Amino acid sequence: MPIELTLNGESIALDIDPRTPLLDVLRDRHGLTGAKAVCREGFCGACTVHIDGQAVPSCLRPIGLLQGCNVVTVEGLTAPGTLNRVQQAFIDHDVVQCGMCFPGMVMTLTTFLDGTPNPNRDEVKSALVGNICRCTGYERIIDAVLSIRSEGVA
Amino acid sequence: MTAQTGYGLITTPQTVAEAVAAMAGGAVPIAGATWLLRAPLRHEPMPDRLMSLRCLTEVQALDIGPERAVIGAMVTHDALAGALAGQPDLAGLATAAGASANPGIRRIATLGGNLGAAGFAASDLVPALLAADVTAVLATGSGLQSLPMAAFLAGRGGGGLILRVEIARSARRAAHARLPMRKAGDYPCAIVSVSADVSGGTIRDIRIAVGAVESTARRWSSLEDRLTGTALDPARAEAAAREMSDDFTARDAVDAPGWYRLSVLPVLLRRAFTQIKV
Repeated sequence: MPIELTLNGESIALDIDPRTPLLDVLRDRHGLTGAKAVCREGFCGACTVHIDGQAVPSCLRPIGLLQGCNVVTVEGLTAPGTLNRVQQAFIDHDVVQCGMCFPGMVMTLTTFLDGTPNPNRDEVKSALVGNICRCTGYERIIDAVLSIRSEGVA
Repeated sequence: MTAQTGYGLITTPQTVAEAVAAMAGGAVPIAGATWLLRAPLRHEPMPDRLMSLRCLTEVQALDIGPERAVIGAMVTHDALAGALAGQPDLAGLATAAGASANPGIRRIATLGGNLGAAGFAASDLVPALLAADVTAVLATGSGLQSLPMAAFLAGRGGGGLILRVEIARSARRAAHARLPMRKAGDYPCAIVSVSADVSGGTIRDIRIAVGAVESTARRWSSLEDRLTGTALDPARAEAAAREMSDDFTARDAVDAPGWYRLSVLPVLLRRAFTQIKV
């Protein structure tokens, strides 16, 4: 019996080993390489996607547990050719360095801002605990997030 | 309902009885799967037969009442931390649930998964559950079984599907102190969880649980005896812990050597006491 789920708005059915990490399904079967395979143990955040509206590491989600779930990757976050407010803020603040961590950062911060529209600096830092940037560009990332708070720049 | 694929097999029982029968047939229950999917990194094989618990309502409970708290096995750390906010007697458990790992893992890792992962020495929830003196309720082939947490841990792996834990509410105060190697985000190398009945500044009764130091979390009974009846004094507690830290045979692992775990244990106890005193 195939595993059926929604991926970036499209219904898909997968007849594969249920223990396969979602990350590998995204990258190897669907060419969605925005989620990065880095630590594979949930610590780096580079593979973060949205599952049923929550930002979670796709490396730790076996496909067999995702029956009926709604999966959104960074490629499906907005319509093609458009950016969401987090992506736009990253460009506006010249945040991006090597880019390895940024899809995960975008996915984490998008849901974070949905639930916490007016965060302070510490709250942004706490939200990013599971997203590691080895270029250590954290402060500008946080500045970018604070610039798009619903109450504006601090 | 069973999904047979080309490799592994996943079963999705509709009732607890079906789940227990599937376990008897060799299926391994999975909750958040955060431990399971890291099996290759530990050079361990993944089980061939898995069991999803998503259709069982009996493992989803989250009821924090004035007399009793019930927490289902499939409750995530994130949900648990939110539900326990502002409850002094369960503050240790709230901190454990809200500070473990990182936000993404807390959204998928579950209480049942932490209890079932016998090889996971650095679980935050397990010492917090020991300090909270919870009762684990399991479904077995012969019916429901209720076990104190220490007894559950001693027999872990002996079968039975973890359904929930139950906690008797009280006027106690609780705290949880942990030391990860970074400020946050990874496993703690030592954990102290405390629940105390304090009256007039004196400890009437206390439970102290230690995690991540040995392979399985356990109560520090000798220190509990030493501190019962004394003033709630963080410095005195630290000194007593330092004198008695050789009660533990600390494990060496890649994150920290055993001697280091022992050396930070008294400091963590002081921090937990300081939280309780506030």
